[in-house]
Amino acid sequence: MASTATAPAPQPIPPSLSLPPSQFARLQPHAYLLAHLSPPASSQQPSIRANGRSPSQFRVTSANTGSLTHTNGSAVVRLGDTTAVCGVKAEILHTEDIASWSVSHSSSSSFASNKRRKLTNPTAKLGEDRTDSGDNESHIEDFSLLVPNLSLSTGCAPGLIPGAPPSALAQSMSHQILSLLHTSRLVRAEDLQIWYERPNFGPEEPEHHNESEQMDVDVEQEGSDEASIQTGEIKAFWVLYIDIMIISLAGNPFDAAWTAVLAALRDTKLPRAWWDVDNETVVCSDIVSEARKLSLWGLPIASSFGVFEADAAAGWRSVTIQDAEEERKLAEGDRKGIQRRWVLADPDGYEEGLSQERVCLVVDKPQGGDGKVFIVKMEKNGGFAVDRKELKELVDISTRRWEDINQILKQC
Amino acid sequence: MTAQRQASSASQIPHLSPAELSYLYTSLSLPGTPIRPDGRSPTQFRPLSAETDILPGTNGSARVGFADGTQAIVGVKAEVERTVLGVQALSQAEQQEYAEGNEGADGGAGAKQGSTSGQGSWVQMCIEIPGFRDDDALPVFLSEMMREPLVESVSGGEKDGDGDEGGMVGGLKGRLVINRRWHWRLYIDVLLLSQPLSYPLPLLSLTTHLALLATKLPKLKSKGEEDPFFDDDWNAAEYLYPRVRTTRASIPGSIHKVRPPVTLLVISVAENIVFDPSREEIAVADTVLAISITYDTGSNCLKLLSIRTVDPPSRLTQPSVPNSENVATLGSTAAAEASAIINPSTGEEEVSGVWRPRRGGVKRATIARMVKMVLEKGGVGEEVLDGLEGVEVG
Amino acid sequence: MTDRRRINGPSGGTRPPVFASSIKSTTTATERPQRQRQPNELRKIFLKTGLIPSASGSSYLEFEHSASLSAARALPKSLIPPSSSLKLACTVHGPKPLPRSATFSPNLVLTTHVKYAPFAARKRKGHIRDASERDLGVHLETALRGVIVAERWPKSGLDITITILEAEDDRWWGDAPDSHDAAWGMMNVLAGCITAASAAIADARIDCLDLVAGGVAAVVVDESVDGGEPSTPRLMLDTDPAEHRSLLSACVVAYMPARDEITELWLKGDNSKASVGTDDKSLSYETLIDGAVDAARGAHSVLAEAVRESAERLAGLETGYST
Repeated sequence: MASTATAPAPQPIPPSLSLPPSQFARLQPHAYLLAHLSPPASSQQPSIRANGRSPSQFRVTSANTGSLTHTNGSAVVRLGDTTAVCGVKAEILHTEDIASWSVSHSSSSSFASNKRRKLTNPTAKLGEDRTDSGDNESHIEDFSLLVPNLSLSTGCAPGLIPGAPPSALAQSMSHQILSLLHTSRLVRAEDLQIWYERPNFGPEEPEHHNESEQMDVDVEQEGSDEASIQTGEIKAFWVLYIDIMIISLAGNPFDAAWTAVLAALRDTKLPRAWWDVDNETVVCSDIVSEARKLSLWGLPIASSFGVFEADAAAGWRSVTIQDAEEERKLAEGDRKGIQRRWVLADPDGYEEGLSQERVCLVVDKPQGGDGKVFIVKMEKNGGFAVDRKELKELVDISTRRWEDINQILKQC
Repeated sequence: MTAQRQASSASQIPHLSPAELSYLYTSLSLPGTPIRPDGRSPTQFRPLSAETDILPGTNGSARVGFADGTQAIVGVKAEVERTVLGVQALSQAEQQEYAEGNEGADGGAGAKQGSTSGQGSWVQMCIEIPGFRDDDALPVFLSEMMREPLVESVSGGEKDGDGDEGGMVGGLKGRLVINRRWHWRLYIDVLLLSQPLSYPLPLLSLTTHLALLATKLPKLKSKGEEDPFFDDDWNAAEYLYPRVRTTRASIPGSIHKVRPPVTLLVISVAENIVFDPSREEIAVADTVLAISITYDTGSNCLKLLSIRTVDPPSRLTQPSVPNSENVATLGSTAAAEASAIINPSTGEEEVSGVWRPRRGGVKRATIARMVKMVLEKGGVGEEVLDGLEGVEVG
Repeated sequence: MTDRRRINGPSGGTRPPVFASSIKSTTTATERPQRQRQPNELRKIFLKTGLIPSASGSSYLEFEHSASLSAARALPKSLIPPSSSLKLACTVHGPKPLPRSATFSPNLVLTTHVKYAPFAARKRKGHIRDASERDLGVHLETALRGVIVAERWPKSGLDITITILEAEDDRWWGDAPDSHDAAWGMMNVLAGCITAASAAIADARIDCLDLVAGGVAAVVVDESVDGGEPSTPRLMLDTDPAEHRSLLSACVVAYMPARDEITELWLKGDNSKASVGTDDKSLSYETLIDGAVDAARGAHSVLAEAVRESAERLAGLETGYST
């Protein structure tokens, strides 16, 4: 990976031992990266990473959706050399199969009206909806309607044995994605509900759903006017199996995986489904025009950072008072223009191995939010380098990243 | 890890020295008349003892033992199970209409299923081999290899049910159908009683064949689409593979019209083709083929159901070092070099008496010869099936 | 027993969606896709090497969309895809030293691993390899072991991993699940696996006797044009099982053109038409194998091109170093 860098000319390689850059990178990874980041002052080189990026620069990202035939939604996201494929497959969970499903859940008119509102106003504003349907949202978590699983055992990296149970990394990323899906409330519970409307309009034939679509819409709209007298019942839920295969791993799998999940969910189409009374089952329509896309709440976008420290031993030291003093000294050093640590955006595999401290930020910039930026998730592990000031800078970088990814996702 | 790797080559790596391998290969590849270590002719099988109905708790069972002491036991159990028709069950009414005029109907999608054809998943096969876990590659590969011809002896497109008694409409799958809503599920459990001394496929296949011949299902007393109930008189039970006792049978002298398939193991060594190879013989084989055959009900001859290549363990053997490259004998290489020839198939220098692991594949002509020897009239396949017919069943 | 290392769905289990049109087979949308290719015409194969830099060799293979699928994608009417096309990624890691616990091996030890992505097929696949996936692994290993010059790497291991992102259908979705329930799609998958693995092995610069390519041929029975009696069985190369009323028999080979040898042969199905006794010699198993070999020759030309690109890329890298 590092060998592909457009290596700057003045290499700090001892002349007696002329190793090619790729060899040196393997033997002395820390020194190699440090040499790139802090070129001698005499040379007019800018501080640049071994892979040719500036510290806050992300890798080239591309996304492609809808290429997998057997999925409801799919996406391939390439983040440099890291590739994630995400496929969403929807299946149906009947309420009769839910052990904890009780009478209290069913036929509450507030749900019905909720649904009506969504139908009439599909582009509901963020924020107002997010608060008032808390009970609904708990369905997703209670009945585990979103099932993300990330797999690394695809031969994506040499160390991972295919066929072995998921590694700790894969497990933790699956759970991070799950909790992020839950806490960001990305998917609306209403989108996943399958309703049964009891025909209230006299002796209407029960198979009104088999008629043309226009008829159906009419019925629905009539229903919305008379939502108060209509009793609906949730008969089933859609369950979204979100499977992420990391095909190629070259650092920062989480960003790639989450972007893939996001793109796949944006691509996901659920067929129109209804409760078929005769067969006592849920039946779907295969007509594309009747299927609807998920209306996602917001667009939380993840960006990860690694911290590279010039003093390789710094990470090993425990927190002592001497260290605090040293920190102060280092801060002075900063002022003199000698940088001692770098926050590297979107670290590749090589850089990940050299950084002890990681930061992961998930930010969102809602459409109607007047450019306000929400931090959906903030995670920082290890190290003593990144403080409040730097975190703020990272949020700014993440916001810029949000704009980029937003463009990429819009285009695909 | 190691066990799994051995298993995935579908055979064990033989513990023979390169010199032994070379000797075996040379004697087996003698043009025209291979010399086998146990003196058999190329098409001769090892003697075996067989008995059926040894396990009273099963619907059918068999035991086969080879003279070398390896034994296999197969038990067949049948259970009644509700048929999950899935989508098609939802439109039963329409189906009935179709079923009425079902003769050669091919237009309607849901028309053909139901009464005549069963599903391959109703036959479950489980193989237990000592020293292997049941999800190791060898048992999985073996059971797929044996199940495949079993459930496929009549494919979906074929309609050979001309109402002949003793015929099996729809093959084994069709036989398992009780009515539209119920079917038999067949569990075939194969047990190898000792560590496999040779590739266990022929033994297991023969035993399974016999067990299936001996399998009886209780006589159905219910009619049509009722929930099935059965005659509890075991004597009235019917054979899974029906037998023809009338003289009207189109094959005189044969009591089974339809028979379960048999899988034969055939190897080729140079130009020779050898049947029922022992472990030592497999170790030097160029090609190992598993060929499944059965009797064709229509034309009274054998038909081919499947061919699979098995990874020959000769590819994993240790090469020997010719004298010319051996440091110990350096200097006395003149004789060895003189006998060096270029092998046309590997394009490498080959010294006679020096073992090289086999490489490459098999020529199409060789495959054709192997299959022909199995299928031809009076060939090996017929001999095997006739031999199995001789085993007293029931 | 739930899998605690993965996130499991609802404990009550979920059901795949049932479409109204598949219950009532009256609408026009449920028409079987038709094969638009000539009987001996193969689907185009997209094969690219070196997409996964962390592996010593890698390849990505994709079959061209069938006419029905590309039509359905251009003008989507139904949510049910008429057919699918194979997409898979293959990585090769090694040669690398065997683990300490392994026994001595004088040859390169090959490990093959084939896994479907959960979303690869019409029916959701499990996370743990099932029997058919293990079976595919064994077939692939047989095909490759005959090709690799294994004694050049004693005491070493080579891991070949294939992830199938989209598999071929076993039958047309509108057919009853038992009409021809043999895993015909698996044979196409195997042929693709062989070709892709061969490219990835070449990309990893492992010595081989030849580039081995996979090919499929089948004897099929189609509905005749007017919807009447089924036509007579015909031999087709590179069959898409969704496009045919039934497959009588099919065959997949791994074939080395330079040596005219087959390292892996898997033939199955009812060959009664092909038995020795019948007069119809044109559909015997030999013709079937020959057909599969022809298909493999076609795949080989694509394979050779992909390997040439891989070699050029490496050559480019090396000259890049020297300057």
